[in-house]
Amino acid sequence: MDSLTAACARMLAAGDVLNALKLVALRDDPPALALRGVAMARLGDYARARELLEQAARKFGPHEPVQRARCIVAGAEVALAMRQLDSPLHMLAAALATLQARNDHANALQARLIMARRFLLLGRLQDASATICDLDTAGVPASLVAVAELVQAELALRSLHMERAQIALRRAQAAADQATIPALQAEVTAMQKTLQRPAARLRTADDDKTLTLAEVADLFASTALVVDGCRRGISVDGTWLSLARRPILFELIRALACAWPGDVSRQSLIATVFRLHDPDESHRARLRVEMGRLRKLVSTMAQIEATANGYALMPRDNRSAVVLAPPIDSDAAALLALLADGAPWSTSALAQALGASQRTVQRALADLQANGQVHALGKSRVRRWVSSSLAGFTTILLLPSVLALK
Amino acid sequence: MKHSANADIAATNSSVAQIVQEYGPFPDADTIHGVTFDGHHVWAATGSSLLEFDPAQRQVTRKLACTCDAGTAFDGTYLYQITGEQINKIDPTDGSVLATIPAPGHGNDSGLAWAEGSLWVGQYRNRTIVQINPESGAVIRSIQSDRFVTGVTWVDNELWHGTWEADESDIRRIDPDSGAVLEQLIMPTGTGVSGLESDGADLFYCGGGASGKVRAVRRPK
Repeated sequence: MDSLTAACARMLAAGDVLNALKLVALRDDPPALALRGVAMARLGDYARARELLEQAARKFGPHEPVQRARCIVAGAEVALAMRQLDSPLHMLAAALATLQARNDHANALQARLIMARRFLLLGRLQDASATICDLDTAGVPASLVAVAELVQAELALRSLHMERAQIALRRAQAAADQATIPALQAEVTAMQKTLQRPAARLRTADDDKTLTLAEVADLFASTALVVDGCRRGISVDGTWLSLARRPILFELIRALACAWPGDVSRQSLIATVFRLHDPDESHRARLRVEMGRLRKLVSTMAQIEATANGYALMPRDNRSAVVLAPPIDSDAAALLALLADGAPWSTSALAQALGASQRTVQRALADLQANGQVHALGKSRVRRWVSSSLAGFTTILLLPSVLALK
Repeated sequence: MKHSANADIAATNSSVAQIVQEYGPFPDADTIHGVTFDGHHVWAATGSSLLEFDPAQRQVTRKLACTCDAGTAFDGTYLYQITGEQINKIDPTDGSVLATIPAPGHGNDSGLAWAEGSLWVGQYRNRTIVQINPESGAVIRSIQSDRFVTGVTWVDNELWHGTWEADESDIRRIDPDSGAVLEQLIMPTGTGVSGLESDGADLFYCGGGASGKVRAVRRPK
């Protein structure tokens, strides 16, 4: 509104961050604080950026609701960049409502995209898809269109809708080229690359090969019964049964599917699933009970028959059975997938995204650190974890998700 | 908020602004920071260039490359333009800067008007209008407003200024001695006034901020 604020905003838009900062460096009025916050965020000093944006939002107060809402949205974006996933959502939701009510279309869209990206990081795919279900990108800057399409693409990829993902990626590419922002173009390229990388391994009785995301999607669309070791569930004809919270049952069906069309002996099931070397009669009884539970759960998809030796999986309608395994075989695959975004994560943010306890995450991180797969920056509360290097495979199937496949 | 903004103004002198014409948005210009009128054409400060357009033909007739982040004024021969922390005196024929004086608000400045041999500078968040000497930049006096001041203009010995606070904008005539509000034209909600200039007759030209538009508002008789 005043001349230095306008000049600073113009320089920021043109990418001249340092000179923009110089103009308002000594000013403490709310527009100047907000611009300083944005400039610091551009320079990568997220902690200071958040402070400045919070101060600006406070000083604007309820009297200037739109300006205040914009500061809150900018602050939320910085928090997202810091992978701070615990800040309350209601502030952002209120800011979004304010911006929508005042027809600030571009900033409202920005707020929704930040929300959606946060849900994506937390694995809440349904919430993410609800947040962006009726996005209207008409008349907003190309950079925002590109981000919106990237969010759509990621959501489509994570639900294995390859065609939708391709369309969104093409649109993202066009918008990013139009915006000529290198960081955005790089993000589109990075996501395009995930389509070529191995996403999972396919295990049949006598073969083991890597699949791309498209091949995984084809597999799910085929007639085969797929035991998915990435997301821990079973799929037949698009019907999804999650066994993520039934680890014993999942290990049982995986063992049976690995041996299909043959059977698996009781001893070997007890040894691999219960992890015991010295089985006795009580374990056979337990195996019978667990097998009964599994039988009931999968009854619409497959039969489990007792053989002389042990058990055999018989998919319905003479289908074949295949097993998908993660491209990297490790209990910490989901952790590595989150860290593969290159951002420094706190233990608490990782725990939040994985739905695990902080202690569990700490233990897993310590193992990964010992193997040199991750390393830590900083000490105690400000400690952040970064991935050492994880090029070569896509993380899409490894990321935590709570969306049922439809 | 609306209530408190209007409480100090006699109800009889307050009316809804009548927008008679809209110009723009103009190509390569997403924000209007200041406007002025040279007798034939309207000038609009758009950040990186000063646009001259013909309000009758609705066409851009000239474009001067210069940084222009706030108010614009015309003294009959030269243009004055707030840029950063200074005010430039500009030759409208070629855009060259003839002189520079410091802006009284050190960058908090918003609107600009020329009248009676002085420059009048609106200071946005300070809610002040400052009268300065156009040669030296020396402050002659200042008038306090109760709203964030954007554009400033003089017409027929009346001092008018635009306000823009939160979502609300108006164009108001104030007593140049006391600062008391004499008349008020309320703009529709969400329609900001980022620059103000009278055409010397019955119109005001108003910059529309980030809408990129210039609006013509009828001046009450």
